[in-house]
Formats: sequence, structure tokens, C-alpha cells
Amino acid sequence: MNNNNLPTAGLEPLTRRGFLRAATLTGMALTAGCASLGGRRAPDGEAVYAHLSEEEARVLTRLTEILLPTEQFGLPSSTREVPTVANINDMAGDMAPQTRDLMAMVLWIFERRPMASFRFSRFTRLDDEEALRYVRAMQAGTFFERGLMTTLHTAVCVNYWRDSRTWPGLDYHGPVTGIWGVRRLGNAPLPTA
Amino acid sequence: MRAINIPRDGLPVTTARDMARDDSISGRFTLKTEVVVIGSGAGGSMVAWELARAGRQVLVVEAGPYHPSSAFTEHLGDTMTEIYREQAAQLNSTADVLFPEGACVGGSTVIGACVMQQPPDSVFRRWSEELGLKNLAPQVIKPLFDEVGREQYVHLNEAHEINTTAHKVIQGCERMGFSWKPVSRNVRQCALTGHCLAGCPSDRKMSALVTHLPWAVGHGARVMADTEVTRVLIRNGRAYGVEAVVRDPRTRQKVADLRIDAEVVVAAGGAIQTPLLLQRSEIPDASGQLGKNLAVQPFVQVLARFREELHGFRGALVGVEIDEFIETDGYMFFSALAEPEQLMIQGNQGAGPDHINFMKSYKHLAGLNAFAIDEGRGEVKWKGSHTDGRKVISWNPSRAEFEKLKHGASLASRVFFAAGAEEVYLPSFQRLSAPSVFDLDARLDEITYGVRGMYSLRINSFSSHGTCRMGVDRYHAVTNARGEVYDVKGLFVADASLLPEPMASAPHWTVQTLAKQVAQGIHARGQELFLKG
Repeated sequence: MNNNNLPTAGLEPLTRRGFLRAATLTGMALTAGCASLGGRRAPDGEAVYAHLSEEEARVLTRLTEILLPTEQFGLPSSTREVPTVANINDMAGDMAPQTRDLMAMVLWIFERRPMASFRFSRFTRLDDEEALRYVRAMQAGTFFERGLMTTLHTAVCVNYWRDSRTWPGLDYHGPVTGIWGVRRLGNAPLPTA
Repeated sequence: MRAINIPRDGLPVTTARDMARDDSISGRFTLKTEVVVIGSGAGGSMVAWELARAGRQVLVVEAGPYHPSSAFTEHLGDTMTEIYREQAAQLNSTADVLFPEGACVGGSTVIGACVMQQPPDSVFRRWSEELGLKNLAPQVIKPLFDEVGREQYVHLNEAHEINTTAHKVIQGCERMGFSWKPVSRNVRQCALTGHCLAGCPSDRKMSALVTHLPWAVGHGARVMADTEVTRVLIRNGRAYGVEAVVRDPRTRQKVADLRIDAEVVVAAGGAIQTPLLLQRSEIPDASGQLGKNLAVQPFVQVLARFREELHGFRGALVGVEIDEFIETDGYMFFSALAEPEQLMIQGNQGAGPDHINFMKSYKHLAGLNAFAIDEGRGEVKWKGSHTDGRKVISWNPSRAEFEKLKHGASLASRVFFAAGAEEVYLPSFQRLSAPSVFDLDARLDEITYGVRGMYSLRINSFSSHGTCRMGVDRYHAVTNARGEVYDVKGLFVADASLLPEPMASAPHWTVQTLAKQVAQGIHARGQELFLKG
């Protein structure tokens, strides 16, 4: 069985070209700047980021809420405590222009992709249940959809889990060299003949 | 007699910031040296040390920043941002295969997992007898491996260096009847922190940062960071230096243009960057092989969840290998489980509550990386002008490579099920796991080749090689057996690009050994290559 050719439940087919190029953003999945505080607040209360448009920030914030409902699990909030979207913003600030353009395209497509299948609604207007259903449909979709979804999923999740405040919830110890008092050895001595 | 002063700690490195502060340096300047080494990783640092201790004037130029080991924080995310190439986002042209590399002084030796392997003698016999590379005959090359092994403190992991992840692999192997052994690593008094991929803050990993670079500096070599060589200068079939650009690593603003006049140029930027440099330099390429034959040694990671808490991220990152299939099928398997961020590149880890539950199981997880020898059909290409072009890495699995990797994932899964795993997570762009060995084949069948294998298996590559292959025929190879580029006297390659064929062995040790041989060859030809003989 070749599942790459199967239609995705609940989603209309996507064009191939855009997704192929867009998926170069898998890279951004592994990147990020240091955790910094969230962006400025616009008068309407929405965060403003230096390197993300308002729509991009809105899509990423909503995706973070859907992928990482952390508070239900006793973990630091992925939107209010851990600056997940601000981390992505930092990352976007360091991207090459070409990669940054592709990121914009990926987010544009992701936001509008549900329109054909979810009563003409954009991703950010779906309720929680529909949004999660959309994300899962993308994860099980054609190879283009899987690529796009995996890219965004990785970008969001790396930028959450990299924050040390999330680690106690995983029983992960984080850095230990200082705690254990491991001394530095310095440079290795010259080998003897 | 010369005084040799090895720095006790860290390295004297000239950085972009130093140059920006120096009023005597204008926006364009020229340096002179006997040997310029491009790249400071496994190959470049070895060449620098060998030639510096032979009395040559050596300048090492590194495109990445200098990040002393005292600055490592054991935060993988921060390290990826600071010293991995493109923030750990170097990808193939279809953006589904990741090529992580170090981009800093010390190169990938700084962020590697310390795995040291020697290819079996059969490989060297073939390269010597069938490819005519007599310099690689076992009796010639093996003593050099031994020498490098001593320099690098290579040893088999001892009992305390084998963590719970590795023990699950051992259990599985013993039940399956597979041969396994402790991994050989280049580490001195390992502190068992498990943070190899984020750099070793206590200098125990024998990276170039604490071995060959300080040794080279002790013998008079100089090291420049933040300095990207844009092309090699060639006149009348002779390399005579390089052009480079110095950039501030934070702002990427240009600090200076630099020309380095040198009698010998050694390219050691690795199997992806070196062919790009030689293409930008428009070297004569009679073989047409420059940048081709890219072997990526692809690997996938299988994760397994066990009932008990393993805390498999504690202890030495890589404990054991399964050596059952190296010579017969070209598979290598290494136990490893790194930081939480690293889980994101293993596969599709669910959404919403599924994802959180998966992450909550972190302390119950064990990991096994399945590497397979590939066909070496990939290509690295520079497109555009030497100043503002871009690289393209072309590699997607053939159907045979795809099936091989999938079979590797199957074997790794079976090892974990034999060890008692409750669930195995498969390396796929789909969300796939198998709750028992009886479900495994059906789940694996859901990963299909599709279009060029794109977005099917989640594939990574740490070990590219072969893009400037050495050989005895100038119409078939890029360099001769001495590592010198055909038709460009004085231009040498000393990195994984040289490997003549795909091989099933972690290349670090082999690269250092080849670099040592190249450097000793340069030294032996001093009268011919250097003005002062």
C-alpha cells in the first residue's frame, strides 16, 4: 500500500510544488534563539514581534496552544510562561532571507489550508477540537502535508522543550557539570613519542 | 631547540572582534604564511599540528566562531544556535534529510558523540588492491590509526560508561543472538554527563579544541575564527593562497576582506564545504567528480518505551554498538538517547495530549540509531557566483537504500522488543509506533517509498564523505593518493571528502588518519612545495 497517494481524511489535496519548497523549513525546526521574554503588546493586547508579522504570530501562537496544552499536565504554560513564539521570532531574525520567505509561505498555507474542509474557516478561527483534528489530519496526510506539519510541529516543540523550566516535568536533570562539581581538565598534554 | 608552550586552557584565537578593534587593520588586508589550513575540525587540526611541529608556518582559518569549552552550558538548544552550521538546519534540497555539522573552531569534533571506529581491514585491502591506493594498504595505514588512537585517548567503553539505554540494547542483542560490543570513544576520564552533543565543558571529550589545535598553537600555528574562505587562488596550475571574508558572528556584518598568500593550501572543511569551496574556486576538474559521489551514511533513530524508569539520557551518550551486520550488510547500530529537544528529530511525536504524554515518557525511553551504508550517489553543488551563490545538497534515498534503512529500523525495533519494550516509536514523518513485535511489520509497511523517498523515513546524516575522492586516475578522482588536487599543485584536501568509496564506519578516526598521512606527505615533499625547502 502506498499511503503517499491516499487522499487525506477531511482534507482536500494540496499542490506539490509549494510544499516541497516550503518544507526546507524543517531546518527552522532545530533552531532558536535564547529564551527571551515575549514580544511587545499591541494596544489590543496581542503580542508584537520584531521578526514575525501579526498573522504569523497569531498562527504560531494558536498552533502552540493546540500542540502543547501543557497546563492540563502541570507543565509551564507554552504561551504565557515559556516564550515559545518569542523563541521562534528570535530564530526568524537569524534566518537567511530565502529561508525567511519560505517560512512566511508555510505559515500562509497552513493558516488557509483548512478553508476547503472546515466551513471556509482559517486555522486560527477553528475551535480547539477542530484545530486538533486539522493538525492530526495533516500529520496523517500526503507526504507534502506530513512534511509541512512535521516542520511546524518541530519548530514549535523544540522551542518549548528547550526551555529549562519544562525539564522538571520530564524528570530530566539538565546541566550537571556544575552541580556535580566536575573539574575542567584543560587541554590535553602533548602525546609522548 | 624550540620552546613549546601548550596553552593550559583554551586557545589564542584571532576573532572578528579582535580585528574590528585593531586600528592597524583596514577593511582589506593580506597575510603571508607557508601553509594555510581551511577548517579546524578533525582533518584541519591534525594537518595544522603535523606541519607546525615539522617547523612549518601554519595559519588555520575557520569560518565559524571560537567557543571555548568553558563557555559550554550543556543546553543543546543554545549550542545548536551558536555553533551548529545553520543552527543545526543544514538540509538536502528537498528539506527532509538533516546534515548536522559543527561550525566553530574545532568543527564537528566539538559536537560529536566521540564514537571512534576503524573500518575493517577488508576495506583497506580493497582500496589498496582494487583501487590501486597503496597508501591505504592495511600495513601502511594501520600504524597511523594506532598513532591517532593514542593521541585521542581512544578506548573501549568501560562498565561505568555503559548506561541504561545501552543495557537495554545489550539485553535485546543477547536474546536475539546478535553480536554487540562496547563502543570505542575518544574521551579522557568521561564525566558521564550525557551532554556530548552540546559540547564538553570539562574538556574530557578529545575534540580538536583540546588536542590538535592547542598542540599546533604550541608549535607556533595561528588560528583565526569568523573567517570564511571564499575561494582558493590558483595561477598556472599552482595554488598560491586564498581569499576570505571576516564577519562578525553575531551581526553577520563584514569586518574585513582578507587575502592570505601561502605556498600550500589545505582544504579541510568536510565533505560538504570543501567541494563547494573548490567549485567556487573553479579548479580544473578533469574527472567531473568534484562534489559527486556524496555518501551520507544515513541513519534513523528508533525509540522504545519500557515499563521501568530508565533515565536513559544519563551517562555516556553512546555506550554500545551492534557489530553483527557491519561486514555482511553495512549496518551500524549505536545506543543513544540525548536531550529532550533531540526527540523532535526522531519522528512525528503526536499533537496535543498525545505529544505531552509522549514527552512525559522520556525517562522510560531508550534509543538506538541504525546507520546504513549508502550508494554514494549524492552530490554537493555550488550555484551562482563565488560571492553570492548558494549550496545545494542533493541526496534522497534510492528505493534500495530506503528498504535497507527500513530494515535497519526493523532490526533495532526487534532488539528493543526482545529487551521487553512496551512500545517502539518508528522513525517516520507519520506518527507511527508498534505496541508489540507482532504489530511491527504492519506498522513498518505503512512507511512507503512514495516519491523519491521524500518525507517517509525520518533520516539524518552525521557522516558525509567521498565528494573529492582520492584515486590513482585523474579522470576518475579529484585528488591523487597524496590528497593533492589533480592539476593544482600545492592544493590538498584533508577531510572526509577524500574517502574513495562509501564505507560502513564512523569516519572520525579515518579522517584524522588520512589527514595525518596527507600532512606527512606534504612535509616529505618540502623541497618541492616550499620556497625555503
